[in-house]
Amino acid sequence: MKTTSTRTARRASALGPGLVVLGAVLALVAFLSITQGSRSIGLGEVLAALGSMHGDGTITSTVTLDLRVPRTLLGVLVGAALGVAGAVLQGVTRNPLADAGIMGVNAGAAAFVVLAVTVLGVRGVGVSVWFAFAGAIVAIVLVYAVASMGREGATPVKLALAGAAATAGFGSVTTGIVMTNIDALNELRFWQVGSLAGRYAPVLLGVAPFLVVALVVALGFGRALNGLALGEDTARGLGLRVARTRAAAFVVVAVLAGAATAACGPIVFVGLVVPHVARFLCGPDYRWVLPYSMLLGPVVLLLADVLGRVAGAPGELQVGVVLGVLGAPAFIGIVRRGRLSEV
Amino acid sequence: MRVWRSVLAVAALGVALAGCGAEAPSSGGAAPEASGPWSFTSGSGEVVTAERVPTRIIAHAGEAAALMSFGIRPVGIYADEAVTTDPNLKDLDLSGIEILGEEWGKIDVEKAASLRPDLIVGDWWPAEKAYSGLEEGVDEKSKKLAELAPVVGVSQGKSIVELAEGYEDLAESLGAKVDDPRIAANKQRFEESVARFKEAVAAKPGLTVLAMSPADDMVYVANPEYAPELLDLQSWGLQVINPDSPDPGFPYWENLSWENADKYQPDLILWDGRSFTPTANAEWGAKQPTWFQISAAGAGAVAAWPAYWLHTYGHFATELDKLSEAVTAANADIGT
Amino acid sequence: MSVITAAGPAAVDGALRAGRRRRTTRAALVIGGLAAVAAGLFVVTMMVGSFALTAVEVVGSLLGLRDDPSVDFIVLGLRLPTATAALAVGLALGASGTIFQQLLRNPLASPDFVGITSGAGLAAVSGIVFLQVGGIVISGFALGGALLAAVLMYALAWRGGVSGYRFILIGIGVLVFFDGLIGYVISRAQLTEARQAMHWLTGSIGQAGPDELRLLLGALVVMLPLAVLLQRQLRALELGDDAAAALGSRTELSRAGLLATAVVLVALAVAVAGPLLFVAFVAGPVADRLLGPATGGILAAALVGASLLLTADLAAVHLMPTPLPTGVVTGAVGAPYLLWLLATTNRRGAGG
Repeated sequence: MKTTSTRTARRASALGPGLVVLGAVLALVAFLSITQGSRSIGLGEVLAALGSMHGDGTITSTVTLDLRVPRTLLGVLVGAALGVAGAVLQGVTRNPLADAGIMGVNAGAAAFVVLAVTVLGVRGVGVSVWFAFAGAIVAIVLVYAVASMGREGATPVKLALAGAAATAGFGSVTTGIVMTNIDALNELRFWQVGSLAGRYAPVLLGVAPFLVVALVVALGFGRALNGLALGEDTARGLGLRVARTRAAAFVVVAVLAGAATAACGPIVFVGLVVPHVARFLCGPDYRWVLPYSMLLGPVVLLLADVLGRVAGAPGELQVGVVLGVLGAPAFIGIVRRGRLSEV
Repeated sequence: MRVWRSVLAVAALGVALAGCGAEAPSSGGAAPEASGPWSFTSGSGEVVTAERVPTRIIAHAGEAAALMSFGIRPVGIYADEAVTTDPNLKDLDLSGIEILGEEWGKIDVEKAASLRPDLIVGDWWPAEKAYSGLEEGVDEKSKKLAELAPVVGVSQGKSIVELAEGYEDLAESLGAKVDDPRIAANKQRFEESVARFKEAVAAKPGLTVLAMSPADDMVYVANPEYAPELLDLQSWGLQVINPDSPDPGFPYWENLSWENADKYQPDLILWDGRSFTPTANAEWGAKQPTWFQISAAGAGAVAAWPAYWLHTYGHFATELDKLSEAVTAANADIGT
Repeated sequence: MSVITAAGPAAVDGALRAGRRRRTTRAALVIGGLAAVAAGLFVVTMMVGSFALTAVEVVGSLLGLRDDPSVDFIVLGLRLPTATAALAVGLALGASGTIFQQLLRNPLASPDFVGITSGAGLAAVSGIVFLQVGGIVISGFALGGALLAAVLMYALAWRGGVSGYRFILIGIGVLVFFDGLIGYVISRAQLTEARQAMHWLTGSIGQAGPDELRLLLGALVVMLPLAVLLQRQLRALELGDDAAAALGSRTELSRAGLLATAVVLVALAVAVAGPLLFVAFVAGPVADRLLGPATGGILAAALVGASLLLTADLAAVHLMPTPLPTGVVTGAVGAPYLLWLLATTNRRGAGG
């Protein structure tokens, strides 16, 4: 105990500068994401396009300004949202494997999209984004509501089980509809594998306000999550309103994960892995874990996206596939590190 | 027992009545005579024989359309999608024909059995070594269709013309009078369309076309090697661009990221007919910043490409006429 | 159990005998009843379809008592394989579900919620997509996947036992992880045919070939009696648990053997029907409720599983406007049931 606290104290002084370094890394990766892609464009041309800030109609400026810049900004926002959402979820459920996907976010989003397509005749990403958003939030709220019935509130196991049940239920609805409606199947394809491709300024502008606000709010949860990490009774002893904190945290997670899923489809592993990396870097204090996750999320997501674009040229690999391949060993690694004994 | 018998009797009666309707003059008047031994060399290479000429045929969607164009009316049809949207079937009068399936992999074999078929007709897919509807991955029950009667079909390969000719041969063996003026009219119309198409292409030296299918996260460029109708167009002189690096796992297409959408610059875009609409080009131009970087798309030089479904002279003629128009209207200097 | 072991030897003997007699009678009745229900559903499944047949016609054709080729084709050729698949998959899932739940002493620890089912599904679909395997090899892949998933779970979650809820938490993590990978495999494979994809996403009866089914039937014939025997032996060993600490290794052996039969059964069932959820999960608890004091009957749970799956398949194929994959029905019914279970257990304050 003593060694831990002294170590933490010693490290605390390095945490602020570490955050700055991480910010610089993110800036570098974002720059990489704008300069690298399935189309090779010279650095000078990219800089010229960026410098003029408005397209001159050439393919290089169109690709840079209309494709890569919005894509990168979306990657930054979504990566940050997923990283922070994962950290908050893991803290609030005290479950190191918690991830928005486990809460049924993807299944809820998919179910609402196919319902919108069949019942309301909705077409196109621009519109169905909102239904994905609604579905993700409904899923999280439902899962949290069911799991939190009863005196002891939403325990990790109940959350995970309710999430699994909701995933199965929404999945059945989706499959049932898709089997009878080809339009729904086509629309769904877009939500089956997470991708940053084909999402431009309209999608970015649509989800950005939600993400920015929710990210700012989420950063304020550090102290409360630290309290929860000590166990509910201790947290109560410290004067923390456990139920209220949990509910607030879930609203924030719902907005973050819902908007991210609506914009990019199911992107797994970022929310799962990033908080662990953050804890490895900065220790267990959530006041630091949250900002570290917020910067690490986009680094991971953008690197995977750039990798998919360069490796898949002249096409590209969806970022979801890249993360699926890279995430498998990471998942095993996390579990093997023995952190699960904390549960 | 009694229930079953009466059901079967009713079904048989219904089919018999439908059969009468089928042979009405409007459909070509080729009432096949059920006589003599019959044989046909199927696309698989197997020679299928029967003691009598088959008359009760169950056919897959496009194959049924092909037979019907020669006046051979099947008693049952199984399709991969709703018969009201299947491009081969949507304009045909299917009254009296049992629909045995409207979804890939699902054939109502029980209903098929009650039709007492003596022949099943489906395209032979050489790569999969299977007939349409009996491929790997369909319901185990659906495969039992093959136990009801011999299966024959023309091999899917390098040419729609060969496919149509194959079904012409099959129909003839089944008793169709392919020289009957009302039936031969389709083929004649097709030959005229081909002549017109060649003429239109010859009048545009240097015109290049590209078959494409834009999608939300990628642009797909068709590989003519795997699209028999595009090979036919090439054989008639049209320069359909062969993509240089098709997806090794799925060589039907080359996948282009939207960043590379302008990789090929054709003079005319043949747009996957399954997603083509008159307003599609403008919609994709608004949605995808780089779509109009393909000069042909920017100039609105797009035409529907009848992708992967053609089986009959008539349908091909109709589609060819549209393509001839598009070629004539195209500007050979748009692309590079 | 602790009460019994604490009493004197004579009293133990008497109480045991009386209790065992009562339990045996009830168990026999319940198993007989369940077998009748499953058999009834098995026949009903073969009566409905595009053409309605009577029970007499179906049974007659099954037993070869009548000679009517058209009925024989429909019953023996078309409907029997599907009905048998539903019956066999249900039996296998029910049995393996209750074995898992008992051995891990956790009603939530059924193979579909600890990642075994999706592990088998992932291996099978990967084999099909990447290596173009078919037939009995699919079963082999499913078995390998299930075993790997089981070993993975064991390695990840075992901390001197699997009591507590760490196991189920890790299980659901593994489940979500595998399901995500199944989605990627399918999307990478251009498996655009909706039916085929849905088979591996939600599970459906009647798509597998005869080889996989035959293997499952063979396994059931061997494994079900074996599981019942192993369970009996295990119980006998556990009755004298305190005294028989020396027998620990034998207990562990029986336990491992029982778990192995469960893994094999669930893997072969997945090879036939894809990753069906909830059947394995609910079969055991339903059987226990019927059995009363004689809980844990593997045969009863297997029969409940078969009845549930036959019913779900009937509903999926014949009650819906369009035939749906069976997994859609088990999911649509099972998910609200699980949510309800969670909500009501919580209200009593007894939930995890």
